[in-house]
Amino acid sequence: MKRSRTAALLLMSTAPLLLTACDRSESASREGLYTSVEACVAQTNDSDTCRQAFAKAQQDAVATAPRFASREACEASYGKEQCAERSDGASHSFFGPLMTGFFLSQMMSRNGVAANGFNSAPAFRDSNGGWQRPAPGAGGVYRGGAGTAMVPVNATPNRAVTSSRSGFGTSGSSRGIGG
Amino acid sequence: MRRVSTAERPDWRAKAAACGFGFHTIDDAPYWDESAYYAFSLREIENGIEAPTEELHAMALDLVERIVGSEQHLRQLAIPEPYWDWIAQSWRERQPHLYGRMDFAYDGTGPAKLYELNYDTPTSLFEAAFFQWQWLEDQLARGQLPAGSDQFNSIYESLVEAFGTIARGIARPFHFAAVRDSAEDQGTVAYLRDCALQAGIDCGALAIEDIGISEDGRFTDLDDQVIGCLFKLYPLEDMFRESFGQYLPRSGLQLIEPPWKALLSNKGILPLLWDAHRGHPNLLPAEFDNGGELPRGSVRKPLHSREGANIAMHLDDGRELRTNGPYRDGPCIRQACHPLPAFDGHYPLIGSWVVGDRACGIGIREDSSLVTQDSARFVPHAIVEEARGVLIA
Repeated sequence: MKRSRTAALLLMSTAPLLLTACDRSESASREGLYTSVEACVAQTNDSDTCRQAFAKAQQDAVATAPRFASREACEASYGKEQCAERSDGASHSFFGPLMTGFFLSQMMSRNGVAANGFNSAPAFRDSNGGWQRPAPGAGGVYRGGAGTAMVPVNATPNRAVTSSRSGFGTSGSSRGIGG
Repeated sequence: MRRVSTAERPDWRAKAAACGFGFHTIDDAPYWDESAYYAFSLREIENGIEAPTEELHAMALDLVERIVGSEQHLRQLAIPEPYWDWIAQSWRERQPHLYGRMDFAYDGTGPAKLYELNYDTPTSLFEAAFFQWQWLEDQLARGQLPAGSDQFNSIYESLVEAFGTIARGIARPFHFAAVRDSAEDQGTVAYLRDCALQAGIDCGALAIEDIGISEDGRFTDLDDQVIGCLFKLYPLEDMFRESFGQYLPRSGLQLIEPPWKALLSNKGILPLLWDAHRGHPNLLPAEFDNGGELPRGSVRKPLHSREGANIAMHLDDGRELRTNGPYRDGPCIRQACHPLPAFDGHYPLIGSWVVGDRACGIGIREDSSLVTQDSARFVPHAIVEEARGVLIA
C-alpha cells in the first residue's frame, strides 16, 4: 500500500477533543533566566526578590566572569563592546564579559507560592548567542587569571521584553507565499 | 497516466468544512476539484516519480556542502553576505529540516522532468496529505474507483514520523508562524502543527507579523516568551531582506526550514544541479541568465519566484508566454523549455513530496495554461493497477 493507513486530525477536526489543558507537573522549584529586573518581575510578580537576585548576580559577575588579558581576546569570545575592564582590587586589571542576564531559582511551596530565600547567578552570552553561567560550585575564587569555568546553558531565558514587532511579514501578499 | 472524469462526492463541501479545509474555493474560483482524477500505474509512480524524487533529493543535498564553501556559488544564488556564515553553520550542524516539494512535468511515458524545488515554503500540503486521502477512501467506499485502488500518499505518516524523529532537536518553546491574512498558509501551518502535536510535541502558533524582537536581539512571541524554534511558512529570502532579518544570525533562534534551505529553494540550484549532473534524465538543461534575449525553447525564471510568477517562456514554435508578479528585479536562470503535457486541455504539474528524506506522495495542480500559477486547481490521483490491460468481458 502506498498510502497512509490512517489520516487523523487533532486540532483541525470539528469533532470535540478530549484533550485537557496540559497538567503542569508540580515542580518543587522554579528557575528562570532573565535579562532584566523588569522581565523577572513580569514573570514572577516578585519585585523584591528580582531586585535582590539581580544585585547579587551583578556582584558575583565580577568575580565569576571569565578573565582575559586583553579586550580583543574577550571580544573574540563575547562579541564587540560586550567586555569591560575590571580589577580584582589588588591592582591586577583584566577584561571580562558584561553580565547580560541572571538566573533566579526559588523553592516553591505546595500552593505555588515562592518560599523565602533564593539563589541567583550571573549569565553571560557568547558571541554566537549562546548563554553561559558559572560552573556550579564556583564562588569567586580567583583561578590563576582564568576566571571561573563557564558552562553553556541550554534553556533560553523565559522572557524578554519585546522592544518592537512587525519586523517580519512586510513582503507577504495577502494571497500568501506558498510555492 | 490518464485523466478520468468522475462523479464528485455529494457531501465533499461539508467534509471540507468539518476538517477545517476552508480554502477549497478561493476568490469564488474552485481550488479543490474532484470532478476528475489522474490514474497512474504502480510502475509509473514507483519508477517514474518516487525513485527519481529520492535520487534528486540526494543530489540536491550533496550540493549544499559545495555551495556553503563557495563564495562564487553563494553570490550566484544571491544570498546576502551577512547570512553566509550563519547558513554554513546551520548546515555543519545538520539542523533538522522537515519537508519539501519537487515539481515535475510527467505524462507517464518519458522521464519526469524537474521544474524546480520548493524546499522552503511548500504549500498544498493539507490537500495532498489529508483531503486527497479522504477522497480516495470515500470513493473506494462508494464504488467510484476500481476495487484495490491506492494512492501515492503516506505524507501524513511521514510527517508524524519526521516530527517524532526531530522532536529532541527542536528548541522550545516551538511555534508555527504564517502570514496572518492568508487562509491557505494558515491552513498549511495548522495542519503541520496538528501533525507535530500528534508526534507529542507541544507547540504554539502565531502570525509572522506578531513576532517581536527584544533589546538584546532575541525573538519573542506575544507573551514575551523567547521563541526557541520557529517553523516559518515564510520565505527565508524575504526574512533576510526585512528589518528583523539582521538579528537572525545572532538571535539563537532555531528555524524550520533551517537556514541552509535557502540554497535549495532557490532556482539557482537548477543550473548547479545541471552542471554537476549534466545529462541526467530527470534534469532539464539550465544556466544562469545573462540578461540577453531569451532564445526559442527556453524559459526564464527569477531565482525566488513563487506560484509561477514572473516566468517568461519562449516556446519552440516561437510563441511567447509571460506571467506577471512581484519578482521583477533580481537575477534569473534559464531552463530548457519542456512544456507540461496536455490531458483534455488541462496541464497537470506533479508536486512530489519529500518529508524527512523520504519521497512519500504527490499532489497534482492543474492549470489551463502552460505556466502553473496560483489559479491552478488541485486534482486528486489514484493508483489504478493495470486498468488499461484488463478487459471487462
